[in-house]
Amino acid sequence: MKLSIERSALLRSLGHVQNVVERRTTIPILSNVKLEAREGTLGLTATDMDLSMAASEDAAVAEPGATTVSAHLLFDIVRKLPDDCTVELEQRPDATELALRAGRSAFTLQTLPADEFPAMKEEQLDVGFSIAAAQLAKLIDKTRFAISTEETRYYLNGIHFHATRGGAAAMLRAVATDGHRLARVEVPLPEGAEKLPPVIVPRKTVGEVRRLLEDGAETVQVGVSPSRIQFVVGRAILLSRLIDGTFPDYERVIPTGNEQIATIPAKAFTTAVDRVATISTEKARAVKLAFSDGQVVVSAVSAEAGRAVEEIDAEYNGSPLEIGFNARYVLDMMGEIDGETVRLEMASAAAPTVTRDPADSSTLYVLMPMRV
Amino acid sequence: MQEDHPSCTVATAPVRRILHIDMDAFYAAVEQRDDPALRGLPVAVGGGGPRGVVTTASYEARAFGVRSAMPGAVARRLCPGLVFVRPRFDAYRAVSRQIRAIFLAWTPLVEPLSLDEAYLDVTDAARGGPPAMAIARRIKDEIRAATGLSASAGVSFNKFLAKIASGLAKPDGLSVIRPERAIAFLAALPVERFHGVGPATAARLRAHGILRGADLQARAEAELVALLGRSGGYFWRMAQAQDDRPVEPERRRRSLSVEETFAVDRRGREALAAEVEALAETLAERLRRAEFRGRTLTLKIKLDDFRILTRRTTLPHPVADAAEIRTIATALLDRPGPPSRPVRLLGLGVSIGDAEADARQLALAL
Repeated sequence: MKLSIERSALLRSLGHVQNVVERRTTIPILSNVKLEAREGTLGLTATDMDLSMAASEDAAVAEPGATTVSAHLLFDIVRKLPDDCTVELEQRPDATELALRAGRSAFTLQTLPADEFPAMKEEQLDVGFSIAAAQLAKLIDKTRFAISTEETRYYLNGIHFHATRGGAAAMLRAVATDGHRLARVEVPLPEGAEKLPPVIVPRKTVGEVRRLLEDGAETVQVGVSPSRIQFVVGRAILLSRLIDGTFPDYERVIPTGNEQIATIPAKAFTTAVDRVATISTEKARAVKLAFSDGQVVVSAVSAEAGRAVEEIDAEYNGSPLEIGFNARYVLDMMGEIDGETVRLEMASAAAPTVTRDPADSSTLYVLMPMRV
Repeated sequence: MQEDHPSCTVATAPVRRILHIDMDAFYAAVEQRDDPALRGLPVAVGGGGPRGVVTTASYEARAFGVRSAMPGAVARRLCPGLVFVRPRFDAYRAVSRQIRAIFLAWTPLVEPLSLDEAYLDVTDAARGGPPAMAIARRIKDEIRAATGLSASAGVSFNKFLAKIASGLAKPDGLSVIRPERAIAFLAALPVERFHGVGPATAARLRAHGILRGADLQARAEAELVALLGRSGGYFWRMAQAQDDRPVEPERRRRSLSVEETFAVDRRGREALAAEVEALAETLAERLRRAEFRGRTLTLKIKLDDFRILTRRTTLPHPVADAAEIRTIATALLDRPGPPSRPVRLLGLGVSIGDAEADARQLALAL
């Protein structure tokens, strides 16, 4: 194998694939990236056996061939090379080392044979559709903060995607919940996605797809089989296992008849909750919201530190209501409210609260209160 | 206890009135109360099986040397007529609720330590009311009237001394350690009686000629820290009667653990597994007494070079009984493998993970 490639191109693709590699793995070759030199291209692949990322870049290939080398090591080396240089990679037949040369720098890296590199089992992808990158980014951004990290409820460790009819139009929905809060967002159903089965895409895959979208691609090709999902973004291909489980019937926990309704300026609300929660010393920082005619009072108490209170003008016509929330949950959610105001639909201090962005009817959040 | 004493060593802060109330042989006493046939007999409450340990022994059994945490077989050997009774935690909890109601009628500052033991800060009640010692006596009377059981009470100006005081005259005792007597009292106290001094720490202290509180009082704080680490500073302050820990009502516990420092380092899987089993029994008992539940079990291993390994696992349900703790803790010992170096300390604890951290957070009905 012998080739030369622009440092910037190599760095971009290594950046995509090296992130998939687990820092700690008991199988040595899973620390490596597979390099495959074909006519005019260098292919790079990394996998953790649940997720595999393949990228390719233009390269001047003198001798085709394949090998594997430590992904993080190669990434760190290429990162530290000067901008605008050309990188030469060469492995002689039967050699166990890969030579890397750039300008006056030379590295010799240990390799493992490419034919020992594990591949994720291929599966026929029955459903395929194309979605605008901006739409996919929205589905991810507005829900991922609510993904559960609790391993016992593994079926909540990802974003649930499914096709639905939201009123007249068919929609593609994304939902995530950790059991305390829930985020739901929908976009028009892309053509070809009508047969999409309900899937749960793991947290790590969600993060990797989102990073690929940063590169400025306009559309993403999505392929789905019963146990796999594939995203093609530009020249990068991400293939992932789906979470093998059933997402709970989340519609049941979204109340429809909440009648205590407040509309609050979003920015003032966010900054008030953030400021007031500073006083709280516990791990789960609770804030109390006291609603009365025309205002909401945000407050927090700490036995050790003291008290904090802040008043905000708000539209509120319900009966006086006091309700507590985890400040972190409020702030996570407010981070995804883009409009000028936020609308809280409450029933009581112990019942789920629905939150909406009046400027964007495609999103909906549910927050469970804290006792305060 | 009525007035502030100018000779008091903590004269800068107002002198507090702290009670420590401790039910006498609690589980056994409840059993003897509810079953007249058991009265006057040596009774041990605990698991009766081959692995069972004594949870609580009645005073009749204690006369034979039966102690809590003692294996059942040992207890039977000491006291052939010992009557083993299975614990009835519902009954103990009911009594616990009764005594807590009595405490709360005197002060909101009640810090329960377990079902049968609590600290009370009665500083406010004693101001203009009956003296703290009279309050303690009335609480004991009210407990007897409401439950038919006896309690011992300790009265002092901090938690550490109040707890020592309640142990001075058990059962049915009442003792007071006054501020002006505290330093002299502590000087005479054997170091083993200081809270947190186990056999291993006591042995180290003895090796340095520290046998009583007076020996602790005579050392510089830095010297004790050099000898014992951070806990050296704690013992130094206790020996000076400086314990400003407040009585904390509604303490929200996040973890409960037990540990054992070995007088001789333990080597090899078999020896360690035996210690893990013993710790599992003790931990299970402590969990029951404190009514604490958590899903994360942690095994702490301190090696002879003072490196600490911690291994933990989180279960889908709260850790249940001694058998389950034993099984999981042994698995933690074996995964990834028993330590290769000699071990000077083993610890076992149950904690509440982040996800279950705050009971105040309500959950969606998913």
